[in-house]
Amino acid sequence: MVVKKGALVLLAAGMMMSSGWAAASSVNFVSWGGSTQEAQEKAWAEPFTASTGTAVVQDGPTDYGKLKAMVMSKNVQWDVVDVEADFALRAAAEGLLEPMDFSVIDKSKIDPRFVSDHGVGSFYFSFVLGFNKSKVKSGSPADWSALFDTKTYPGKRALYQWPSPGVLELALLADGVPADKLYPLDLDRAFKKLDTIKKDIVWWGSGAKSQQLLASGETTLGQFWNGRVYALQKDGAPVGVSWKQNLVMADFLVVPKGAKNKEAAMKFLAEASSAKGQAEFANLTAYAPINTDSVSQLDSSLAASLPTAHAADQITLDYAYWAKNGADIASRWNEWLVQ
Amino acid sequence: MAGAVMAEVSSTVRSLPAGADSQGAARTLAAPGRPLSQSRTPQGWLDLQRWRGSAALLPALLFLGAFFLLPLLGLLLRGFTEPQPGLGNYAQLFANAAYARVLFNTFAVATLVTLISVLLAFPLAWVITLVPRGWGRLVLNIVLLSMWTSLLARTYSWLVLLQGSGVINSLLMSLGLIDEPLEMVNNLTGVVIGMSYIMLPFIVLPLQATMQALDPMVLQAGAICGASPWVNFWRVFLPLCRPGLFSGGLMVFVMSLGYYVTPALLGGAQNMMLPEFIIQQVQSFLNWGLASAAAALLVLLTLVLFYLYLKLQPESPVGAGGK
Repeated sequence: MVVKKGALVLLAAGMMMSSGWAAASSVNFVSWGGSTQEAQEKAWAEPFTASTGTAVVQDGPTDYGKLKAMVMSKNVQWDVVDVEADFALRAAAEGLLEPMDFSVIDKSKIDPRFVSDHGVGSFYFSFVLGFNKSKVKSGSPADWSALFDTKTYPGKRALYQWPSPGVLELALLADGVPADKLYPLDLDRAFKKLDTIKKDIVWWGSGAKSQQLLASGETTLGQFWNGRVYALQKDGAPVGVSWKQNLVMADFLVVPKGAKNKEAAMKFLAEASSAKGQAEFANLTAYAPINTDSVSQLDSSLAASLPTAHAADQITLDYAYWAKNGADIASRWNEWLVQ
Repeated sequence: MAGAVMAEVSSTVRSLPAGADSQGAARTLAAPGRPLSQSRTPQGWLDLQRWRGSAALLPALLFLGAFFLLPLLGLLLRGFTEPQPGLGNYAQLFANAAYARVLFNTFAVATLVTLISVLLAFPLAWVITLVPRGWGRLVLNIVLLSMWTSLLARTYSWLVLLQGSGVINSLLMSLGLIDEPLEMVNNLTGVVIGMSYIMLPFIVLPLQATMQALDPMVLQAGAICGASPWVNFWRVFLPLCRPGLFSGGLMVFVMSLGYYVTPALLGGAQNMMLPEFIIQQVQSFLNWGLASAAAALLVLLTLVLFYLYLKLQPESPVGAGGK
């Protein structure tokens, strides 16, 4: 039933796209939807269209399978795609992406962690330790070790369910591995640590679910995207956050190989990664800017809630390591998960 | 290319259920004006005359061939060609205990969901059939209404009801029946509850249609012949409901095998089912070969089940209820 309906929608969307939507002077922009994409439209697309006259067509959600299928069938409908950092590196290695044109995009002000030959950062965020204040009786949890301390903090723990950067790192940190010795990941040790709380874990796969778990007190504490915790706090939920050992992860903007509007796409990326575009996006979403010049333009009421304000406690996840080893880790991860 | 499609189409035609075949035979017998010379044409499915009048099927078969069978075949082939040609993906699928577990989860959930929805649907369909017409229609409409409501909305509602701080747990705790919240969601329990609810209409409808079509006189006759209500139920009523139970049950089972949304929302990652595994491989890891092998397995098992179903249920489910 559902599948059929989905297929119809896809078919309709496909027809619309092929019937000239991706005309010459436009950029087809693909992101994850929701408030993030709305902010991207407002902060990047609207000013870009105003200054260049090039329309930006919003599309989505991002789907890696579809991206690969487009490139392989040489029928690329997408010009700029918002993807996760490790995917950006892996897709580049698989030859699915166009190289960035740094004569158009100003690389000098972009934090070097968030730029590669085949992508520029879209925004960055942190995995933070969030907790429900009404469920935490004895003092605020300080760092990831609190997740494994079921005596002091009884209740369920919320963790990100996909085999991607974050969970294994925080388990190792909690087990006493120093931040600079995390990679290559000691998988045996990480899974052994996770074993100790396996029955207490509630997995979340989407931001909405993570918020629901935290705000309702369904989970006492857990690993969350900082923007989602911020949104809950803004709504008055009894939610606290610890930035200690916040784990930095990023989204990248990439151009699929064979994109029809490559030149316009590069210009769009220049706008998106500019100080102004990044600051505006950050002010709308509470995700951090990848352009170092943006920090001064951040909304003062917001600045403290952004990862940029907690640089000293940051641990940057190694996307390159994950890009290379992600598939092997995933197979191991699934094995552990269903045991 | 067109040849391949045709080959596909004809092989589908050939593998049509025995029921369809015998219907075809019945139709040819019912055509008295048939010239005798026809016996010289090839036997079996190649006998074009036997398919006379089924030309109307052609567009649908071509459509299915071009947009379903061919892409499906292409997809399934990837399991043998990516990343290296050979059986590597299947070896990986069978060698890894985790994938076996995923497969087991999938079948365990589908079986449980089918059993539970049959048990729930039977009395419900019966009530709909027995109560005065207007009321029956009302209940049926409620069932339909629930089927037409957005799947996501219904699944989320279960989350709200079942979670630790949810309505059911709060109620039970305030009544003092339990001290700790029951764990009814983010695990297999949640998946089975949510899916049984969502599958219910798919079995109530065929079952109710079957029951509606039963002649009440048959039951009366049973009673007159001295059957107790209990015997009457087991030996008369239930066997007559078999077509509805079979077709509804099979539909629910097969749908459950491929279900994604509800397990993804109400289940825990540790109870991953095959569709979730396939999506993970396709979307996140671009490991299309392995995904294709897993999909092939799912298709194969579904076909085997369908075959078993046809073996067990020779009469056509549509016809049996109506006459």
